[in-house]
Amino acid sequence: MNYSNLTRRYFEGAEALAGVLTGPGTFRGNAGSRAQGTWVQFDLRVDAGGARTIQAARFLAYACPHIIAAAAWLAEAAVGRSAGAAPWMSAQGLRERFAIPVEKLGRLLIVEDAWNAAVKACMGSTAG
Amino acid sequence: MNAPVYLDYAATTPVDPRVAAVMADCLTIQGAFGNAGSGHSFGDQASGVIETARAQVAAAVGAVPAEVVFTSGATEANNLSIFGVANYYRSQGRHLVTVRTEHKAVLDPCRELERRGWQVSYLAPRPDGSVAPAQVAAALRADTVLVCVMHVNNEIGVIQDVAAIAAVCAGHGGARLHVDAAQSAGKCAPDFAAFGCDLMSLSAHKVYGPKGVGALLVSQRRGVHLEALQYGGGQERGLRPGTLPTHQVAGMGAAFELARHAAAAEGARAALLRQRLWRGLSALGGVLRNGAEDNSVPQILNASFADVEGESLLAAVRPHIAVSAGAACMSAAQQPSYVLRSLGRDDRLAESSLRFSLGRFTEERDIDCAVAAVAQAVTRLRKLGGA
Repeated sequence: MNYSNLTRRYFEGAEALAGVLTGPGTFRGNAGSRAQGTWVQFDLRVDAGGARTIQAARFLAYACPHIIAAAAWLAEAAVGRSAGAAPWMSAQGLRERFAIPVEKLGRLLIVEDAWNAAVKACMGSTAG
Repeated sequence: MNAPVYLDYAATTPVDPRVAAVMADCLTIQGAFGNAGSGHSFGDQASGVIETARAQVAAAVGAVPAEVVFTSGATEANNLSIFGVANYYRSQGRHLVTVRTEHKAVLDPCRELERRGWQVSYLAPRPDGSVAPAQVAAALRADTVLVCVMHVNNEIGVIQDVAAIAAVCAGHGGARLHVDAAQSAGKCAPDFAAFGCDLMSLSAHKVYGPKGVGALLVSQRRGVHLEALQYGGGQERGLRPGTLPTHQVAGMGAAFELARHAAAAEGARAALLRQRLWRGLSALGGVLRNGAEDNSVPQILNASFADVEGESLLAAVRPHIAVSAGAACMSAAQQPSYVLRSLGRDDRLAESSLRFSLGRFTEERDIDCAVAAVAQAVTRLRKLGGA
């Protein structure tokens, strides 16, 4: 399997963005399963204000290099964005950014689902 | 950056420099470049080289020279054997027996025969990868004309008891035994005569010879017949016509000659290196060995790594070591190894497997490098996966 330079960079540097967040103002979403071959989890820490600005994001993934790279990039790129803002990424967008084979679109939808689950948990909360 | 450590000798081996020298002598005007079929001195010279090589190959595998039919490799030898027997004996029956863990070069011809109306029984190996002779006996039918069982499995290195299986086939009377021994030479001294099988496939490039040449051994003692698949020229007793590539054949002969003398020492050395490798890998925890440890060639170690995704594992170790994923998750199609699945591994473990195959040029420091690379990758990926 050949990977784009961006995929390689984020796959190799993924550890810096991996992990879990705990404490007040943190929210979690995950999707997929190890048994199926792809599992992704995001933790978001947002501010207590109405904008729900993402202060930090971390991910965990049991997945192929493409999915790990995409999840790592999301965790990095999300910081400073409003969790409630209009969707700024999609599975298709990630596919194009990382030059991921179309056969892996199903796995990218798991990334999208995990992210949306974390945002939903965040937006559904009443207190930061 | 240093080149990755090569631990994929079961896929192919580099040509031994001594073999390359023999081959080079057959290429130019000063050497044995002639057509072995020509009636002049150049042809005689080439023919002599080929017959020397035939004798070298035969001596290395317990055959007589007249039983050696040179081919383009083991895949062609397997095809010639399977289709050649099927075509010749089709009036006696249309049933074959083989094993689910055979190489594709055997399974695909069998499937093609199924498409042509033949019936094939695919035996499931035991969890250690071996097939009991009793399983073969139970699968034989009155119309069975061929049994195909490989000697050494290319993914897990397990050695089948082909002598016992040959005895089962001999007892049946009509079932010939074909053994794919592509991985055997240089690793465990296959003995065609002692095995008592009818046909055996060999490859040169698994034993420090060149790619593009192999052989099918056709037992004279047992009187097995084949129908040729190609026509024109009558070379190789009409079974594999076409001008013989003298340099390739000479290279195969030299490689088998070297292997004959070096196999025991190389096997002992490989056993120590494999032991060192397994000790390092198993210390990681969650590492499962695939195939029987005490019944496999010492050059191959196949292991599954729990809680690690297969494609990521291969990508993570790739800069440091060259290994095979045992036909695991190499593509988006995500096909786990059918060999490991046949042993009872689930899809995830079958995908997260690595085949390490050691060889003549593997050193202790290569093993240590492999252990370090795999340990780093597994630890990192388990952390990324929250394991």
